[in-house]
Amino acid sequence: MSHETITLLTVFVPIIGSLTIPLAGLISKAARTAWAVALGAATTLLAMSLLPQALAGGETVVRKNLILGLDFILLIDPLSIFMACTSSFIGFLIIIYSIGYVHHEENQNEYFLLVVLFIGSMMGLVFSGNLIFLYLFWEIIAICCWRLIGFYRLKEHVQKADKAFLVTFFGAVVMLLGFIVIYGQTGSFDLTAMRGTEIPGTAVLLILFGMFSKSATVPLHTWLPDAGVAPTTVTALLHAAVLVKIGVYAFARLFVYGFQLPDAWLAALPWIVVISSLIAAAAATVETDFKRILAYSTVSQIGYIFLGFAVMTEAGVTGSLLYILMHGLAKAGLFLCAGIVIHATHKHDIRQMGGLFKTMPLTALAFLFCAFSVIGIPPFGGFFSKFLVIMGTVKAGLVAAAAVALFTAILTMFYLLRTFSQVFLGEVKTPGHEGTRSMVAVVAILAVLSLVAGLLITYPATLAEVTTAHIMGWLK
Amino acid sequence: MTPMTLLWMILLPAVSAVALILIPKTVKRIREALALLSAAVSLYLGFALFAAKDLVWSANWLGAGIKMELRLYQFSAFILLGLAGILFLITLYSVAKMKDHPRIREYYAYLFLSAALAFGAVLADNFVPLVFFWEGLLITLYALISLGGKTAHRTATKAFIISGFCDFAMILGIGIVWSLSGTMTISQVSLKPEGPAALAFILMMIGAIGKAGAMPFHTWIPDAAIDAPVTFMALMPGAFEKLLGIYLLVRIALDIFKLEPGSGLSLLMMVVGAGTIVLAVMMALIQKDLKRLLSYHAVSQVGYMILGIGTALPIGIAGGIFHMINNVIYKSGLFLSAGSVEHRAGTTELRKLGGLAKEMPFTAIGFSVCALAISGLWPLNGFVSKEMIFHSAVESGSVIFAVAAWVGAIFTFASFLKAGHSIFFAPRSEERAPGKVKDSPAAMLVPILILALLCIVFGVFNKLPLSNFIQPVVQAQAEAGEHLDFTTHALALFNPIAGISMACLLLALGLHAYGFKRGGRKAYLVSEPIHQAPFFKQMYDGAEKKFFDLYEQGVKFLRGLSWVLFKGIDRPIDAFFEKGVTAVGSGFTGILRKAHNGHYANYLAWGLGGLVVIVALISILLK
Repeated sequence: MSHETITLLTVFVPIIGSLTIPLAGLISKAARTAWAVALGAATTLLAMSLLPQALAGGETVVRKNLILGLDFILLIDPLSIFMACTSSFIGFLIIIYSIGYVHHEENQNEYFLLVVLFIGSMMGLVFSGNLIFLYLFWEIIAICCWRLIGFYRLKEHVQKADKAFLVTFFGAVVMLLGFIVIYGQTGSFDLTAMRGTEIPGTAVLLILFGMFSKSATVPLHTWLPDAGVAPTTVTALLHAAVLVKIGVYAFARLFVYGFQLPDAWLAALPWIVVISSLIAAAAATVETDFKRILAYSTVSQIGYIFLGFAVMTEAGVTGSLLYILMHGLAKAGLFLCAGIVIHATHKHDIRQMGGLFKTMPLTALAFLFCAFSVIGIPPFGGFFSKFLVIMGTVKAGLVAAAAVALFTAILTMFYLLRTFSQVFLGEVKTPGHEGTRSMVAVVAILAVLSLVAGLLITYPATLAEVTTAHIMGWLK
Repeated sequence: MTPMTLLWMILLPAVSAVALILIPKTVKRIREALALLSAAVSLYLGFALFAAKDLVWSANWLGAGIKMELRLYQFSAFILLGLAGILFLITLYSVAKMKDHPRIREYYAYLFLSAALAFGAVLADNFVPLVFFWEGLLITLYALISLGGKTAHRTATKAFIISGFCDFAMILGIGIVWSLSGTMTISQVSLKPEGPAALAFILMMIGAIGKAGAMPFHTWIPDAAIDAPVTFMALMPGAFEKLLGIYLLVRIALDIFKLEPGSGLSLLMMVVGAGTIVLAVMMALIQKDLKRLLSYHAVSQVGYMILGIGTALPIGIAGGIFHMINNVIYKSGLFLSAGSVEHRAGTTELRKLGGLAKEMPFTAIGFSVCALAISGLWPLNGFVSKEMIFHSAVESGSVIFAVAAWVGAIFTFASFLKAGHSIFFAPRSEERAPGKVKDSPAAMLVPILILALLCIVFGVFNKLPLSNFIQPVVQAQAEAGEHLDFTTHALALFNPIAGISMACLLLALGLHAYGFKRGGRKAYLVSEPIHQAPFFKQMYDGAEKKFFDLYEQGVKFLRGLSWVLFKGIDRPIDAFFEKGVTAVGSGFTGILRKAHNGHYANYLAWGLGGLVVIVALISILLK
């Protein structure tokens, strides 16, 4: 198979396949679940099979001409392949974990349909080379996300889901306006045709609304902690694999490997994201709800990813790419551990937990591993990504911004260790037992992967380096 | 010796660590044999590499100039040997001391993992592997402390966050060095500490002295003395962290930056050093528990090293390095003796001991030699290195630093007189459990006695370490043609500076006698006159309440700042979405709702109005 075909399959197998999940549900529950897992696995394998293409560098454009400049364009380059592999792989692990997590819930057909569609749309978004198709997949994701956050159908949950949908939808529509401004200037929605074009500051502002709302950056972030009412698997999916990574991916695609930004924005962006990161870390320090702490932690970490891209130095961009992977693995692990704990204790407030290390040692260890990775402690993978982002920021001459980012890292250390001590150490407050085998296996895999990704950093680093060389190449 | 040996040096303990955690708990002999074997092989490799001297090994790692570069040379070979030696002695000691520990598998695994990371940090010749190994030690630090007991995890978190802060400061410094010099390879960097480079110097210095445990980054050490296993104290704050911290400090001051005598940065280091000496020793003086007392000395002694290196004079740097290795020897010896006392008598509280000299003679001898060495008594090793530091402080021109060092010497001796007297030579305490105790098993005594013997050897035959280990390190930095010799005036007892030092020790003896008399002939109360003296009492009370604890204040600051940012920024933003946007939305829809009131005439009017507008628009467009 040519890699054009593989890419088309990567996008359309999960999207079309997801619609057949309810049909499989007619046969039996087991068949449906198996089919969903198979779709997830297929997507991951298809994306992974593109890796040699990515390592070889260079890009391929698949184009299908349609009317009104709405050409269907697939961009196959190291950046899109890197992102597709990361998202689909973490998404696949979350599907496996879901088997244990939702097996006694209603509406499982809908659940698996939306999750697979979610991942499929992500693939579509990642490979899109046309702004309008990017927007299209962007909104399909928003719709999946809206249904999934309100999965339990409680009134307040539905309200939170509406909030998430409205904020991200608002952002996306404003972003669409930005795209139209660009169309007015260039007469095209084709990303490949407009590389290096300097775009007006208003367009940057409008598009940033979309990115910041999707990637939950201050001041458009508060929907993300609220979205914690969703099933933990969904939260993990939103935080680690798909949703919040869209904004940073679009940032890399449009602003690093796309348009030329006005200088004022180049100077302001690092500070905006560093401050966002700090405020979110502060909120995580104050919060006591397990999932809200982790949610704010995501907002804070997203700031680092933006930072590395925004400074546009080689180390920074490589760091941010690695960050997408490392944060995905570790944050998925943290949320899924939280899911096991919440499942076992039926409590959400960490002050009502304690001493769970004895009864659930594997979950506790997995949590600690993932926490170390998020904090950025070697030999875990998160160390390299954070280190490179900081190095890139200093190299760009922004020592003060790097200092604020490191201060945020100390806050991260503080609240994650406090959370670990509160939940797993000390006196037992609410007893709990270890999760099901598939759940524990998934968190253990994520924890071990966080470690292995650090020990064998050469491999992801090579991929990230090729990608960086590719997207920075034209900047010089 | 091939360059690959450098990699084996790191991998061997790492692989042993994995093996040690996999061996089931019930299998005893094999685990201990494996641990001893691995430590012995490490020590052998340490000697072999020390003989080999110059080796370089590198491999691709992260790309973009970031390689896994390892370099063995004079200085790193010497530190490596020190680390391997301590690892072997502690492993031997642990065989007896830790054999009933409930989490013995983890203990050995963390011990060897620490060794692997420490070896790596010493050998690294690129900043990224350096930080990789250096910061990786945070994990074993956290893990080893939490082996202690129920509340140990608090101290572990404290140690982790303080050390993490220092490491992050160092990372920022490395970033600045990288952007200034354009290379990550340490041996290729040489900067003048001016402007941004001066900032980088300070940041990296924080990383180094924070690891070594200097003030104000020391406060977890006394807490760990109570919570953590005593072997941890001997290993980490006692030896490994000193070796690594001072090693890096010397490299920062000599290689990476060229520290000038008399410069502002030199002065800064000397102030930190002198402050650490005096403040920590004052805290050590009033401690009533041997392990806590020792932990404050572990801090105070770092001050001497920083002071010596901070002078930027060859004799000061040599003295600092020599003091570091001496401190590793006697401080580990002291912690291990404390462990021995704890092992048999069940406590290290001074009040509850006494009369142990007869019951535990070997421990008493080991402890006494190490205690006299740390106090700087002629002719033990502590005397020689302290003399060198006194000389350098006087030569630096600021006598005040020499005075601080001498004040430190007085109270160091005074506190060890108190400790040794109360534990070994005072009459048996009434609070001791009935029955005599035996001395500890040989596996514990041998390391203590080896360390005590080294105190004597390094003192009496000080030319041996000075010319083999230290002179080449400093010589490499000296101007071409300049010949350095530290062995001439080191042992001279009859010179004014040594005279003052010995007078200080006599003064300490006097203080002890006075306190003994005042304290109702109770040895553990001898420091009370100073503890209760006006001003001192208030300061000590403040310290007891952790008022001066950077961590406690820092945590308060973090919490306060977080609260302000959360309530001041995050919540208002959320309120804007929750209340503001929804109010505007429902207000707007309210107007529309009112328009839709169901009256036919109303809708007709809307329709007609719309028609007019459309017609108007079309006519304008057609014009």
